Amino acid sequence: MQRSDKPIRTICNLGCGMGCGILAHVKDGMIAKIEPAEFPDPRYRHLCARALATVKLTYHPDRLRHPLKRVGERGDGKWQRISWDEALDIIGDRLTDIAARHGPRSLYWQTGGAGLLDLVYARLAGCLGASAVSLIGFGDAAGPCGDRVSFGTLWGESYQTAFEEPRLCVVWGNNPAETQPFGMRKLLDARDNGAKIVVLDPRYTPTAALADEYIPIRPGTDTALALGLMHVILAEGLYDAPFICRHTVGPLLVSSATNRFLREPDISPGADGTRYVVWDSTAGQPCLHDAPGATPSLTGFFEAGGGECRTAFQLLADMIAEYTPERVSGITGIPAEIVRNLALDYTRLKPAISFRGMGLQRTFHGDITFRAISTLAAITSNMVPEYPRTFVPNMRAFMRAGGRCTFVPVLEMYDAMAGKSSYPVKSLFIAKHNLLNQIPDASRIRTELFPNVEFIVVADLFMNASARYADIVLPACSFYEQNNLLMPPGGSPGVHNYLQLQQRVIDPLPECRTEIEIARGVAERMGYGEYFKETDDEFVEVLLTSDHPSMAGVTLARLKDGPVPLPPFDVPGFMTPSGRMEFYSEKLVDQGEALPVYIEPLESTAGRETADGKYPLVFLNAHTRYRTHSVFANVDTLRVLDPEPVIEMNPVDAGARDIIDGDMVRAFNDRGRAQMRARVHAGIMPGVVNVNQGWWPEDFVEGSHQDLTHSVINPAQQAVYEPNAALYDVAVEVEKVREG
Amino acid sequence: MPEKLGMIIDMARCTGCQTCVLACRMEHALEGVSGIRVDTVGGAGRDTAGGCFPHVNMQFLPVPCMHCQRAPCIEACPDAAIYRRDDGIVVIDEMWCNGCGLCLESCPYGVLIELPDRPRVWKCDLCAGRIDQGLEPFCVTCCGTRAMRLVDLNDPGIKEDVTKAGRAPRALKADLETEPRVYYRPVRG
Repeated sequence: MQRSDKPIRTICNLGCGMGCGILAHVKDGMIAKIEPAEFPDPRYRHLCARALATVKLTYHPDRLRHPLKRVGERGDGKWQRISWDEALDIIGDRLTDIAARHGPRSLYWQTGGAGLLDLVYARLAGCLGASAVSLIGFGDAAGPCGDRVSFGTLWGESYQTAFEEPRLCVVWGNNPAETQPFGMRKLLDARDNGAKIVVLDPRYTPTAALADEYIPIRPGTDTALALGLMHVILAEGLYDAPFICRHTVGPLLVSSATNRFLREPDISPGADGTRYVVWDSTAGQPCLHDAPGATPSLTGFFEAGGGECRTAFQLLADMIAEYTPERVSGITGIPAEIVRNLALDYTRLKPAISFRGMGLQRTFHGDITFRAISTLAAITSNMVPEYPRTFVPNMRAFMRAGGRCTFVPVLEMYDAMAGKSSYPVKSLFIAKHNLLNQIPDASRIRTELFPNVEFIVVADLFMNASARYADIVLPACSFYEQNNLLMPPGGSPGVHNYLQLQQRVIDPLPECRTEIEIARGVAERMGYGEYFKETDDEFVEVLLTSDHPSMAGVTLARLKDGPVPLPPFDVPGFMTPSGRMEFYSEKLVDQGEALPVYIEPLESTAGRETADGKYPLVFLNAHTRYRTHSVFANVDTLRVLDPEPVIEMNPVDAGARDIIDGDMVRAFNDRGRAQMRARVHAGIMPGVVNVNQGWWPEDFVEGSHQDLTHSVINPAQQAVYEPNAALYDVAVEVEKVREG
Repeated sequence: MPEKLGMIIDMARCTGCQTCVLACRMEHALEGVSGIRVDTVGGAGRDTAGGCFPHVNMQFLPVPCMHCQRAPCIEACPDAAIYRRDDGIVVIDEMWCNGCGLCLESCPYGVLIELPDRPRVWKCDLCAGRIDQGLEPFCVTCCGTRAMRLVDLNDPGIKEDVTKAGRAPRALKADLETEPRVYYRPVRG
């Protein structure tokens, strides 16, 4: 193949977050070919099928090429082409007017994108004193809630997966074979080194197909399994007492009256310290947790601080005592013997690592599942007690240059759009985010909530579900057409730890503009142009100006040469209030979730055969290899491999409904319905159905999968960090569509 | 001794991700077709399992051209447009192929394809152009789990290397005696 220009190294930046490197070959101003770019570590030289399809995505004939103004009603699909100046003038005028009447916080910015320069919209929202929507909560926030409680960090996966040579890999609610190539690589390489791979999933995914042991588990019941494993481990005395004593809240005394940890003043009246208290078994009395020479008891109840107290580990043990393998079998559907054997594997095949996936996060109490699995790792010392290292760029200087915006969790947007918050949504600027496709309860947003929003702008590549409901549509750029800075994909096992530049490969397609250009255009009309004069490189340098040890020696020049590895620096163990792994958290005493308790799913029936009632099937909407979120649904080269939405069903459920493979069916509940073909096959648990997410509404015969999901807020998650959309905690029924 | 190029594909590492299919399309500027396909072995359709839950099975089988030692397509071509290079790669010479299609039925692996926009037949050429530059086939380069390897089948170390762990590589449809040079390590020994 002829190459006329020097190849350019950039990154694939679509929101899966893996940060794979692309070497792009340009000929006559067009991308002729891409190939995987090198990393210093050759394991990371990779591009998946989706990355390879990004060239077709970039040159897709349906790309938006002009600003558009709505004529007719929202959703009618009638547009008038306007110039950028007109579009930006309208936006400036409308936002200024709305801010004057409703206050600046009524201006909402709901923008996505995995690159740091995409936060240019947050910078603009900051100048305006506006609201910015945090998008983690549309399916990815339960894990961070759980890990914040356990470890004091939002991304605690490395505590359980950083071991270089694991002997057991347990994959919970995670399908890296389709969604995380680096994670799959880590699993397969571990297996080559003799590790056993166990996969827990209600579906027999490609990851399950390559496992040594596939264990079907009812959706939303993984916490119960973790408690059952701990039950066996405690019963057999196989827990690591010294590790628990040293690294967790295990030995700390908890008052039975207040359910809170004892503190120094409780045992030394008049003292004003905040240090915790343990029971010194040698001296037979309470002492401070860091008292030299103390031998803290790990179990037991004692009299201290004026009342009865127990160690946190005793409280955990008391709770776990009820989760016998037989009881857990009844909840999860896993035979008791398999529960027992897995527990013994955890202690026998060490180090054991646990991959915790989005499947766990998208049940209503997914945060607790993350905590329960971390507790299992902690009590068996399958834990690397080291805070995850990552780069810490200067986000403050970039985002707060002109003022602070207020971050609003995405699930709180529903009430805000309904006018039930102090800061109702009166304008909504959406960029790099297909809101109506990807967030739950979409039909309610379209029909009830959007009418309350006076002004909607969407900046995107295509006339997708969200753009269709905008008042102004702006043609945005692909990642090949703009610069960015990408953090390494933290929070997933097997990923790399390089900081990378996304470098522009081709000029923006005519009339398309980068996020920075768009933000600058709006800012100038609203009087904040002075904060948007920097070039892309200058903005990157703002981000790199940081005293944090992770940024030592990280310069733009080095980044232009290639991926920059994380330098070594010291890190603490845990950043919890106690400085220890907290399987018992004071923050959640009032919610009854101080310990990682098992609570049934909110709505789903967890695939129980005895489930009756209107909606007996659990509705999953998992992620597949053919799309990244809603990207690629309209790209032929991938579409030909996955031509239409289908709902996966087990033959037992299909047979009971007179459905055969290929029949047109309707999935429905009280919130909505979706019509598509059935794919009946053996690889999914009876009681569970699945539609691989990311389809656009027009791909369904009627409705869409997001019409079935809900936006119920979990108050415990709200108290800890951000409530998460429980996208897989959904109940439906499926019926055959009859002819005529 | 001339190289006898072949491939070893490890089915215990293939996740059916179709990256190789997209890679081939990228490398050879193909629309809608590809020199390699990935079949699902299990249920009736792509990505479906066979058996009865939970006793189910599903495997993925990448199928490039086998570059057979006794290639039926070479014999089938009336214009001698298909030939074997010294290194063992079987190629179709586009100058001589007139698209008659007689070779299509001759291949037991179904790897010969008619190009949608040109009157000729095409197939995987093991990225002969890249091989000549000392590179690997593009599908091998892009495979994320490193399930595919380009190998020199004359290298005695190769056989030893791949028969360890009891998963000796096998050819597809070996009974047909086309002597394919693509081998598959099964998922289990």
